[in-house]
Amino acid sequence: MLTEISAIAPQDTRDDVAVQIDGVSKSFSGTVALEPIRLKVRRGEFLTLLGPSGCGKTTLLNLIAGFLEADEGELFIDRDLVTQVPPHQRKIGIVFQNYALFPHMSVAQNVAYGLRTRRVPKAETAERVREVLALVKLEDFADRRPRQLSGGQQQRVALARALVVRPRVLLLDEPFSALDRNLRSAMQVELREIQSRLGLTTVFVTHDQSEALSMSDRIAVMSRGRIRQIGTPSQIYDRPENHFVSTFVGDANLFAATLLEKTDATASLDIGKTRLSLTTFQEELPEPGPVTLFVRPEQCSLTGLDQPGAIAATVALSVYQGSYAELHLDCSVAENGRVMLRVPASEAMEPGTNVGIALPERGPAIYTTTERET
Amino acid sequence: MSKRPFLGWFASPSILIAFGIAASFLAIVQFSLRAHVPGALDPGGFTLDNFTTLWKTVYGKAFVTTVLLCWWTALFTLLIGYPLAYAMVRAKSARLRSAILLISLTPLFLGEIVRTYSWMIVLGNRGFLNATLMQLGVIDRPLDLMFTMTGVVIALVHFTLPIVVVMLAAALSHIDRNLERAATSLGAGRIRCFLTVTLPLSIPGIVAATSTAFAWTFSAFATPQMIGGGKVQTISTLVYQVGFASFNFPLAASLSLVGLLFTIAVLALFNTGIRKLERIGAH
Amino acid sequence: MKKSALDHLLDWSGRILLAAILGFVLLPFVVVAIASFNDGAILSFPPKSWSFRWYANAFEYRDFGSGLVNSLRIAAIGASIALIAGAGFAYVFNRYDFMFKRLLNTVLMSPLIIPNFTIGLGLLILSAAVQLPRSIWLVIAVHVVIVLPFVVRSVYVSLKNFERRYEQAAESLGGTPLHVLLTITLPLLLPGLISGALFAAILSFNEFTASLYVVNQRTQTLPVAMYNYVREYADPTLAALSVIYVAAVAAMLLLVHKFFRLEKVLNVD
Repeated sequence: MLTEISAIAPQDTRDDVAVQIDGVSKSFSGTVALEPIRLKVRRGEFLTLLGPSGCGKTTLLNLIAGFLEADEGELFIDRDLVTQVPPHQRKIGIVFQNYALFPHMSVAQNVAYGLRTRRVPKAETAERVREVLALVKLEDFADRRPRQLSGGQQQRVALARALVVRPRVLLLDEPFSALDRNLRSAMQVELREIQSRLGLTTVFVTHDQSEALSMSDRIAVMSRGRIRQIGTPSQIYDRPENHFVSTFVGDANLFAATLLEKTDATASLDIGKTRLSLTTFQEELPEPGPVTLFVRPEQCSLTGLDQPGAIAATVALSVYQGSYAELHLDCSVAENGRVMLRVPASEAMEPGTNVGIALPERGPAIYTTTERET
Repeated sequence: MSKRPFLGWFASPSILIAFGIAASFLAIVQFSLRAHVPGALDPGGFTLDNFTTLWKTVYGKAFVTTVLLCWWTALFTLLIGYPLAYAMVRAKSARLRSAILLISLTPLFLGEIVRTYSWMIVLGNRGFLNATLMQLGVIDRPLDLMFTMTGVVIALVHFTLPIVVVMLAAALSHIDRNLERAATSLGAGRIRCFLTVTLPLSIPGIVAATSTAFAWTFSAFATPQMIGGGKVQTISTLVYQVGFASFNFPLAASLSLVGLLFTIAVLALFNTGIRKLERIGAH
Repeated sequence: MKKSALDHLLDWSGRILLAAILGFVLLPFVVVAIASFNDGAILSFPPKSWSFRWYANAFEYRDFGSGLVNSLRIAAIGASIALIAGAGFAYVFNRYDFMFKRLLNTVLMSPLIIPNFTIGLGLLILSAAVQLPRSIWLVIAVHVVIVLPFVVRSVYVSLKNFERRYEQAAESLGGTPLHVLLTITLPLLLPGLISGALFAAILSFNEFTASLYVVNQRTQTLPVAMYNYVREYADPTLAALSVIYVAAVAAMLLLVHKFFRLEKVLNVD
């Protein structure tokens, strides 16, 4: 197994940055798809571009691959300036959403394609194709046509085809979205294993936040052509830097509040008639005035209405989820009128029950209300 | 990086052909403005006489005849083509659908001559239709079908039918069947479902098919020539006659030019119609 | 599901209507087939005696033979030229923006609107003006102009449905544009190219009106030879030839249907 890996692993380890994006932007007939982006992908890192459709993540991937040309800015792969280099000279590997396996070629021919273009001798080509098919556990399928394979097998072929050329960067464009749920998680584990064994720099595009959280070393959350936050999965989930990230990744309860006073990370604010004093993780708080208070469902708990700091709410719906129940509460001070929290299934409540919501003293974040966007 | 590989190589042959088309169009325009020199193939000096000549009755009549032929042909082709297209798309048995497809499309690949000649045998005074009807005692002297508008329309409907069926079938096959199922589930019977859902949704296809039927009929030559036999004079037969019987190519050119402008005007009208309809059914 | 009386009525009237329409479509071909076996030189129904002599005559008539050879040559060469020019244009039209793109498209597609007699007349006048001989190449030029829009359409539809990801995958694997074109794009577009060329060849083989303007005795195509025959003779030779023609076309369509499924080709699936 060791020799196989060394045969495929990238050899160049001159420095620590594999892909560097310097102020790259892109517009399509006047519409800005990507504001100037700055981003460094570290060598061997699994970096995810996460965002809703139309956020510019696929545009950015296509710019790295060279399928699109940047309007401005510069792009480096392994310290080589590639802004003007056509895709076929960029030495990258890419796996598409629908895999784009060449339907008129066998599995082996598909995998060998990148070696043929590089004029690798025949014997070596055969050897490397065999090796990489072994790596993705498809040795026995070399002579099949792509349409004779299952979705998961097709994806492995696509991965093998990208890996066999020893790409400097592996680009993944929503590769799991065509797979059904069980297969998807199996493939995610398998891909992540191969990726980290080979130490392959990987840029992964997805709109699925749970996929991003579970697979990535770092996540860049994008919206409207900008990177809104970049960090490890736990930084993104636990310390969202802005309103958009807080709602796009994970579930969020948002309260309309008025910020009265702030000192460092401690704030005093009013939510409806309730006055609270909170400590947040934020380095900088907005100016006093109307703000949005953000709390994860798991940070909220139920309490008596008469308790100090309790926010009044009424149970609207209780959704059974197996190990727990989701309580959807009507709450007049919530931004969309609703608050959700999770309770053990045994503690589910009848609709119409009046309850109090207790917020934690540490952990919530405060954003300026005007920052709301999708 | 070369962003548009092959552009020059791939575009050149078609650019050459486009120049040929444009040049032949200009040749017609140029000839239509030249005087006819009887007995000579080369045209004379520049003049507008050809266009004033077109006001003569014989040419005006050809225009009227052509328009009437287009109208009747389009109407009957639609009436016959719609049920055929509907059966082709909706018949339950796949073999029946295939059979309808092959039978209705084969004529498309037969050309005008074979089809027109066959109709001559059907419609002639001693042809199949008259002979059969007389033997059955339905009529006692042959119907005048050859050399009449009726005969030409019958043959033209047959000539135009396949392309109209293809276009209608394409339109019908792209109607979401769930819309009809929804109508039926809401209590609409088959007739109401057809009249309120299927038919309205296929109107853009009907308009497109009508415009094609019009263009085909307008440019048909062998059918009016052979079945009309000089008695039903259309623009196409007149252009040929003026050109090759009197060798008056300037007049033939001006006649074609006016005919072409007329076609373009009518098709443009249809096109705006189609666009409007598509906007109503905005997706 | 239980059917009402109205449903039955609809079903049956639909069937009768369909049978009548199919009868109308088939009628002339049935009649021409009967006529082709008529022994007499003058048509009569029903034929008084039967023979194959008109088939023999059709094969022996020299203009038909030379017309067939001309038509096949013109269709083959014309369709090939139209394929190269049309596929090239469809490609650049689908992929690129360039100067006069829309104008070029309008001019190339205009033969769909311009009546064939006008196209024939125009190229006849043009060739006379530039003193080109009325050779077979003039006929081929006319045919290329007429069939080109159909090739462009066919290839363009294939290109529109073409998955660009295949090319991008190949490029990312190091394929130069030419290599990608030859190993990915062309093989995957082949069905569209073949059906486009086939369609062009059939159209060209059948073209009559425009050809009539530009052929001479030496270059006349089969449809022109047939037309001239009807003008001179009234015997059923042409009926016999028509039967052969219909049989050949139907056989070819069945073959195409087997391989491509006509529904797909004609977009009525």
